[in-house]
Amino acid sequence: MLSPENPHPAEPEIETAHPQEFVEQLRCIADTLPSRINIDAEGVEQGLAKLVLTLIEFIRRLLEKQAVRRMEGGDLSPEQIEELGLALMRLEAKLQELKTQFGLADEDLNLDLGPIGRLI
Amino acid sequence: MSSPFDQIIITESGESLEESELSLLETLDHVLNRGLVIAGEITISVADIDLIFLGLNVMLSSVETAQEVLRRREQKSE
Amino acid sequence: MKLYVYCLAEDVDEPSNSLRGVAGEPVRRLDAGNFSVLVSDFAAEAVLVNQENAVAHAEVVQSVLTQTTPLPFRFGTLVTEQQLESYLSARREALESKLGSVRGCVEMSVKIIADPDSSEASGPNNNPQTPGTAFLSEKRREILGSETRAAEAKRVASWLEDRIGEVVRETRINTNPTDKLILAAAHLVKREKVPEYRTRLAEARHERPELHFLTSGPWAPYSFANIDLEFKTQFGVS
Repeated sequence: MLSPENPHPAEPEIETAHPQEFVEQLRCIADTLPSRINIDAEGVEQGLAKLVLTLIEFIRRLLEKQAVRRMEGGDLSPEQIEELGLALMRLEAKLQELKTQFGLADEDLNLDLGPIGRLI
Repeated sequence: MSSPFDQIIITESGESLEESELSLLETLDHVLNRGLVIAGEITISVADIDLIFLGLNVMLSSVETAQEVLRRREQKSE
Repeated sequence: MKLYVYCLAEDVDEPSNSLRGVAGEPVRRLDAGNFSVLVSDFAAEAVLVNQENAVAHAEVVQSVLTQTTPLPFRFGTLVTEQQLESYLSARREALESKLGSVRGCVEMSVKIIADPDSSEASGPNNNPQTPGTAFLSEKRREILGSETRAAEAKRVASWLEDRIGEVVRETRINTNPTDKLILAAAHLVKREKVPEYRTRLAEARHERPELHFLTSGPWAPYSFANIDLEFKTQFGVS
């Protein structure tokens, strides 16, 4: 505990009136962590696949958002909405297939967007 | 939802299980994915907006070894 | 043999013999110019992300915090001594500057959960929909929901900044890291300002009983240690 007699902190204190709620949410975050950190070596193909799929996943999510915006904007006909939705569905399914093929989990394609935070 | 950190936590200080799990999770949230990175990072920006951070290490090693794999494949097919 | 690196600091004592780090290895201090780095030997290929290792890492870093403010390395960083030395000499200026900016400070952390809001669910969709349309409708629900949450998170973030901004040197904010967690903020606070920071935070909590808070600290400046963002900004590397 930080005080004039002890200006140097020892253990960090953690304080909340709602421990269970926070435990739940923090668990969600912990669940997305990889099980090993391997800075040196990812297999070549997996490394490249991860790179490529991450970019595609990013674009896919942008496209989804864009589609929803247009749908909201009211300038799409019902047929266009249906077509768009089907195309995005197929893209999502295809990407899922590729992820499985390369043994990548959703979390592996998570992008750290840096200072902008989460654009997606 | 099961988590890699679902363990029975035995505490000595008499705090509740909940408190010690909270303490662990909060510690993890601070320690993981933050801090100095020796391998370095690169960013991909569009119109001055940083979009993507990539582990430089992953990129470099992937590209270098990819070239090697391609070379070996070429040699095999000869 | 690789080294597991914990943190970098100026002016830190040789760690005690009894201090154990990741994989139970003893921790020692490596000196390179003005810097000292706490390291331990590491034999395996990769670092397991588990409770034991994460807590060991945190405890080593925390042990330094009592003497000085270190820059923590990212969990799982394994290097050879050469790689470490070249990193330290190549990034010397940025590291010194970073150490300067966190000198005398600690990281305090605030997480906020907004009371569960039932307005998430938009009206039930009674019309039978063709698959493509149903898919987009569901996406729309998700996206709009997240946009509302994003707007609220911004409001809470700026309210918080208003209440404690004066005693905080730097802030890093993550909005909506999960469904319920509306805000996760890291504050860089001068050590002597921590009591005032805590007081202000307590007052802020009282002001908004509908928000649930989790506060913790002091920590080493994990969230403020990354020098690569600055490097990128300065030199326009992309």
